[in-house]
Amino acid sequence: MFMLKRLAAAAPTLLVVSILIFFFVNFIPGDPAAQLAGPNASNEDMAVIRENLGLNEPAPTRYWRFLRGVVDPSLAKSFRTGRPVALEIAERMPKTLALAFGALGLGLLLGTVSGVCCAVWQGGFFDAAVTVLSLAGISMPIYWLGLLGIWLFAVNLGWFPAAGATTPLHFVLPILVLSTRPAALFSRLVTANLLEVMGKEYLDTARSKGLSEMRVVLRHALPNSLVAAVSVAGVQFGSMLGGSVVTENVFGLPGLGRLLVQGVSSSDYPVVQYSVLMFAVFFIAINLFTDLLTQWLDPRTRGAA
Amino acid sequence: MRLDALPHKQGMVVMACYMCIGRFMLVAAMIGVVPGKAIAAPTETLRVAISTDPDTLDPLSSYLPISSTVDELLFDGLFTFDAKNNVVKDLATDFTYSADGKILTVKMVTGRRFASGAPLNAAAVAASFNRLLDPANGSIYLGLYKFLGEVKAVGDDTVEFHLTEPNGHVPFLLAGSAGSIVEVGAAKTLGTEFSRHPVGSGPYVVKDYIGGERFTLVPNPNYTGPRPARLEKIEFVTTPEDGSRMALIETGDVDIVERVPPESIPTLNALPHAAALVAPSMFSINAEAVLRGPLLDKRVREALNISVDRDGITKGVLGGLGTPSVGFVGPGTQDALRKTFAPLPYDPQKAKALLAEAGYKPGQLSLTVTCPVGRYIKDAQVCQALQGQWQAIGINVKADVIDRGTWLKTIGLPPEQRKDNLALVGRGTAGMDYTLYRLFYTGVSTNRTDFSNPRVDELLTKGRATTDLSEQARIYGEIQKIIWNDQPFVFLWYQNQVFGVSKAVSGFQARLDEVMFFDDISVKR
Repeated sequence: MFMLKRLAAAAPTLLVVSILIFFFVNFIPGDPAAQLAGPNASNEDMAVIRENLGLNEPAPTRYWRFLRGVVDPSLAKSFRTGRPVALEIAERMPKTLALAFGALGLGLLLGTVSGVCCAVWQGGFFDAAVTVLSLAGISMPIYWLGLLGIWLFAVNLGWFPAAGATTPLHFVLPILVLSTRPAALFSRLVTANLLEVMGKEYLDTARSKGLSEMRVVLRHALPNSLVAAVSVAGVQFGSMLGGSVVTENVFGLPGLGRLLVQGVSSSDYPVVQYSVLMFAVFFIAINLFTDLLTQWLDPRTRGAA
Repeated sequence: MRLDALPHKQGMVVMACYMCIGRFMLVAAMIGVVPGKAIAAPTETLRVAISTDPDTLDPLSSYLPISSTVDELLFDGLFTFDAKNNVVKDLATDFTYSADGKILTVKMVTGRRFASGAPLNAAAVAASFNRLLDPANGSIYLGLYKFLGEVKAVGDDTVEFHLTEPNGHVPFLLAGSAGSIVEVGAAKTLGTEFSRHPVGSGPYVVKDYIGGERFTLVPNPNYTGPRPARLEKIEFVTTPEDGSRMALIETGDVDIVERVPPESIPTLNALPHAAALVAPSMFSINAEAVLRGPLLDKRVREALNISVDRDGITKGVLGGLGTPSVGFVGPGTQDALRKTFAPLPYDPQKAKALLAEAGYKPGQLSLTVTCPVGRYIKDAQVCQALQGQWQAIGINVKADVIDRGTWLKTIGLPPEQRKDNLALVGRGTAGMDYTLYRLFYTGVSTNRTDFSNPRVDELLTKGRATTDLSEQARIYGEIQKIIWNDQPFVFLWYQNQVFGVSKAVSGFQARLDEVMFFDDISVKR
């Protein structure tokens, strides 16, 4: 029931998003026909291109065509390549998802482990070191961190390829770079929540039963402190998708982010519209998933639904 | 050796020898061995890091240098450009104009095939050009090529171009990538996928294409022409970020990188396994003036021209990647018709005097210059340098540095709608007629500056119609002189191009039109 309600709520959200995308795309600087034809084209050539692309049609007609393209992907073609946008997205989506999920997963893992360690050894050297690293991870621009990673791990150490997406090894460095922010964030979050939970009475009960401190923390304290982290993970997934735009460009990864950048720089409206719509769909889907996960982890939230 | 220059008997002997050689070559070809062309099957792979994907490999709409680079490997044309950007015959063996200059007849080789195995004959060539000329196919070159009129096949080896008007520059236009011969049947069958897997008759074919990541070319098994594949594989890897692209050659992951930023040249040259290759380009970078308001006055335009320190900017800002202009048209545009002049002086004092003579006291004249960012080498910094040098002679200059899309839109506006006074634009188009006619003929929509000169119009019309090269040289020489003297643009420099090239690679050439030329390349690891 909860899921049906959420799915029903997603439909109008997507409709509003589609309207916003459609109209905002028209604010992309430049003229698609001029971009396609290049600086040497005549006005006459550009007029023909504009007509062929359907840019002379009224806005409601273009919006209707955009919506029809969602139902029948063969109707939505890239201005730049002439290929169906669905094909372009389908080719690139797996790479973006691998990058986003990989970075989020690694961020969650690193953040949770370091968060637990910081809570357990609060005030020690490890805690101080992780605090500094977390601050750096949150503050450093991904672009700069990416170039730094290439310089260190690809050029100097030769551990990973500098750019490309041919082998799984090509994804390691981008995932590492993109995971720094969620790792830092989750680390702080888990530490704070765990410290709060650690003082609860039910943990004393667990300890009084003779359970080891490690078992008390991992079995009884951690699940409760992870509820907030899971909620934040949903929002972080959006950041991962946004961050992939930069990361994919730095590492030459041909994902949805790169496609979006190419679309914006060449005023390829259909590519921009459907790519952003795809980002929105994934964002809504992952938030739905995290809500379900939160309910599973914390039965108290079920009633609220 | 021309047969008709020999005495009859001697000529017959030579002819007989030629026939013997011809028969031998035919037999040799049938068993797969062609004397002089017999090369071992290529075994090496060349890896090239490029900054951007080709939008499309379909010659109908490709205009980026990287698209032209690939098209040269995938297609033949009736004519083509050699490494020095000279027009040479490709499939064509001979060509003649009719007396009225309205019919161009091209004889072509026979017996070739497309990569698909389909015959490459006159009918296929005509079909390819008629595809280009069909408005339904939406070519960006339709306006440029529509004067080709109707293209007909006469027999297997003759193509006739029934031009809409006399034009002595057709071979030049046919040599461009839009003149590449595609297999029309495959284009119809493949639909939009033809843009990634086009079918031509060149030495290579596309093996795979992963959008935004890489594409690979392998030898065309049906190729029997004079420039067989020298590499087993050519891999193009798309890496837009400059730093990452440079890292690829530093780590030895690729053999060639294009678009090396000036600041990376010393790093590249310090590598034991690679070096920077700096080559001239035909790209002529200028600040094109909108000839309205204050810029209608030639004294103001001259003041702008002589107040620019070209040597200082090319060395200081461009890091040496520019050669100060000695004429509007860049090298390689059509060198037989190109004219150069004495460099413009750098004389800020005279510039101030000219402004005063034109009635402008210091601070009275305000101009806006529009520049793209990331389109040409250090374009944004160049814009600031120009602003500074023009301000130094008392002009209030607003430098509008804008993204590529807005810049393209701005420079595409008719002059009466332009709000700026000058725009930084690079022109690098092959062919004197194409380059000059569209920019300087009165009233054509591509004349974005509103330049108008009846004598130039008259000469452009004559130059287009004449087929005589010496007459063309006289006509275009005069046009270039008028333009250089009239200074409708602030002439700046010819941009250089920089590649990072592995020492394992030899024979790589960077053509003046910024196409990477692989015909003579080899790789030895």
